[in-house]
Amino acid sequence: MSDDPQGLPEATSHRLEELEHGLFTSDLSVNEFLLIKEVGFHPLGFVMGSSIYHTGIQTRKWGQSQELTKLTEAMYNARELAMTRMEEEAAQLGADGVVGVRLDVNYYEWGKDAAEFIAVGTAVKAESGVSHRNKLGKPFTSDLSGQDFWTLMQTGYIPQGLVMGTCVYHIAHRGLGQTLGSAGQNIELPNFTQALYEARELAMTRMQDEADRLGASGIVGVRLEEKSHQWGSHTIEFLSLGTAVVKTSDDVTLPTPITIVSLDN
Amino acid sequence: MTDTAPDLPEAANRRFASQAFTSGLTVPDFAACLQMGLEPVGYVQGFCVMQWGWYGLNSPYRRGISPYGGGQGGYMESWQCPHGFVSNEHRSWGQNYEQSWIEDAWGQGFGTAYSRMLEEAAAVGAHGVVGVVDTADRLGDLGVLEFHLRGTAVKVTDAPAPPGGQPWTTYLAGQRLAKLIEAGYMPVSVAAAVSSVRVWAYCMTEYLLGGTSSAWGMQPAGAEITQVASAQMAARQIAREHVRAQMAGDSLHGAEMVVSEHELSEGDQEIQCLLRGNRVRRFKDFDPMPVPHPTVRLS
Amino acid sequence: MSAGGQLGDPPPTPVDIKAELRRAVGALHDLQPSKVQSMTSDLSIDEELILHSVGWEPIELVCGVSLYSVPMGVWNWGQGEITSASAAYARAFEGAIDRIHRECAKAGGHGVVGVQVDRSIHRHHIDVTLLGTAVRPVGARRVDAAHVFVSDLSARDFTLLHVSGWQPLGLAVGAGFVYAPRRSIGLAMQQKSQNVELTNFTEAMYSARESAMERMQSSAITMGGTGVVEVKVTEGPMDFARHAVGFAAWGTAVRLVAEDHRSLKPTMVVPLDDPMSGFEATALRGN
Repeated sequence: MSDDPQGLPEATSHRLEELEHGLFTSDLSVNEFLLIKEVGFHPLGFVMGSSIYHTGIQTRKWGQSQELTKLTEAMYNARELAMTRMEEEAAQLGADGVVGVRLDVNYYEWGKDAAEFIAVGTAVKAESGVSHRNKLGKPFTSDLSGQDFWTLMQTGYIPQGLVMGTCVYHIAHRGLGQTLGSAGQNIELPNFTQALYEARELAMTRMQDEADRLGASGIVGVRLEEKSHQWGSHTIEFLSLGTAVVKTSDDVTLPTPITIVSLDN
Repeated sequence: MTDTAPDLPEAANRRFASQAFTSGLTVPDFAACLQMGLEPVGYVQGFCVMQWGWYGLNSPYRRGISPYGGGQGGYMESWQCPHGFVSNEHRSWGQNYEQSWIEDAWGQGFGTAYSRMLEEAAAVGAHGVVGVVDTADRLGDLGVLEFHLRGTAVKVTDAPAPPGGQPWTTYLAGQRLAKLIEAGYMPVSVAAAVSSVRVWAYCMTEYLLGGTSSAWGMQPAGAEITQVASAQMAARQIAREHVRAQMAGDSLHGAEMVVSEHELSEGDQEIQCLLRGNRVRRFKDFDPMPVPHPTVRLS
Repeated sequence: MSAGGQLGDPPPTPVDIKAELRRAVGALHDLQPSKVQSMTSDLSIDEELILHSVGWEPIELVCGVSLYSVPMGVWNWGQGEITSASAAYARAFEGAIDRIHRECAKAGGHGVVGVQVDRSIHRHHIDVTLLGTAVRPVGARRVDAAHVFVSDLSARDFTLLHVSGWQPLGLAVGAGFVYAPRRSIGLAMQQKSQNVELTNFTEAMYSARESAMERMQSSAITMGGTGVVEVKVTEGPMDFARHAVGFAAWGTAVRLVAEDHRSLKPTMVVPLDDPMSGFEATALRGN
């Protein structure tokens, strides 16, 4: 969250300059392109942000389930940096928002404990000239496809930002005594239930906090992801993601679908 | 909404206290739900981590401990060696039986996670939960199975507060849910059950599966392996019976059956069958729609 | 073809879905479970609706499993067809089909649609599992197990065939397993540096394919079929017996029951949706 990503590389500025002169690039399909035009937006350019982050090491207690706050922070900040840089590119193009955002993590041979966090998407701008930037004055971001963007606009909601929350959690190893004591029975282990529950809720609440900062009415398309990265099977990152939306109209203008049966394979 | 439910983690209470809703639905499903008058209020979940082993105290895994009478469940079948040998190595008896302790433990794990999800749904004042997803995953090398149910809690627009009863739940969301209601079905709850059948192979099953001519001088010819076929049919039958017992006269819609096998030695195995679906109740007579118009895509 | 509309009827007046939902939710608390027979179905609501549009309904999820042993040693070198493997394959299908027929008839079905065909060929046994949905014309009487049909066509395909005047009769199945012929060492050496057709291999493949297709066809004819649709074929060596070749074919035998084939007269459409695009959640999953 920290740095101002001032001074984008020179090639980037050059590329963006060309885009400012009316050429657009986009990884949207033709269908998506047409649907985005349908709701009064025009694509400006393909934008990206990246951050290579060294995710330090934190000692874990063998027999204790706990959040690894240092790793949580690292994972969160790295993604946030990549996102902010992408937003920065979009802002330079005068965009109202970025659609089709994809977040990815890459590991390279050369960097142990280092990972590249990437965010890419297509910057868009309203043709009416009315600003659709979010409450913070930044372009909105969303992982919605062109189809989803169109559909969402029909429901009277507009996206405010891709929001996320993360929690890196260490799950205790089970002591020998515990294992033997309950051998032969399939019973609940309430400590584990509680730990995993808490880990996921922490991730979700942090995501919700981001949405609240954007003044959102809600978050759509919430997903919970779990990943062990390179920390071994007992340390898991719980990541929750979604698109914060705000309600602008009470009208749901979706046309009544027509029933068809397709003869295509 | 402001009351804190006692059993939820502090983070969950903070999340539910926020003005903004969370919805796990895709955008098309979200749009369809709004259109039919369902407003998402929160993403709700329930967990239960169970210690999980296939060989409980009641499930002797050493051959010879479990002769006839080993089954506790309703289904049991036995096979007798036709050869008349008496030897420790010769499997002179065979048995299939239902392992109700595994079925019950699974039901407990799923049921506990389910009722915890409903608790969260009640905490946000929901009428129902749509788009339910359930998983039962093994966690690393811990020898545990985590039951995790989640879905999007919804309110019916402008409807009175939900009556004391439990919120209704369904695996469906969006257009599929709208069409279900249009067709005259109301979702009651998600329904799921597993069956577990243990197969102790007897000599014939062992020979037929393994193609062993064996020291006994028999050359098995082609034949049906009835013991295993019978266990496979039984596992599927029991799963359907378990779910039907939860229906109380309602129907099961959109069912899915998943069968897995855990081989323990040649012919000795556990067959597990999971059946899940939507329990639905008919609230009006079915009015068949006309045959939809056939189309061919031009691209 | 009792209830249900005809093809190309004008679209029905749109239902007020909000009102329907209110009614449904209200009914949940007042209404007791119906006394009518409860059903189990693995169809989607789309499939159920389209089936209902021609007056049919799903009633129960039904299955059939059979494992048939392959005597030991049959995969060893030999010549011509591996008859006991071909026979085991046929028996395993017969057993599974017989069981699903019985389950269907017991549930009151007239046929099984959407049958998922799982087959696995092991060195010592061949396993066949069939799982599908028993269906019948709404409220129809029971029929005998001998008169039900089993089809791997989806409910949608069944409905379209029905509308066009066709009827599925059953699964037509055939398989052939043959030994790949042995080349003499002299011949192998001679062919090593040449581009030549290995005619005896070609012949082996041909013979496996021919016997499988022939068996599938004759099983369709036995059922009174005039065609087999959606034929699936698999071929190739088995990993446990590299010098043997197996070829299998199956599909649904059909017959025209209307006087003439009825045309569907489809409309052309231009869809604006892509196959799932956007955020790829799996990209974030571990290894």
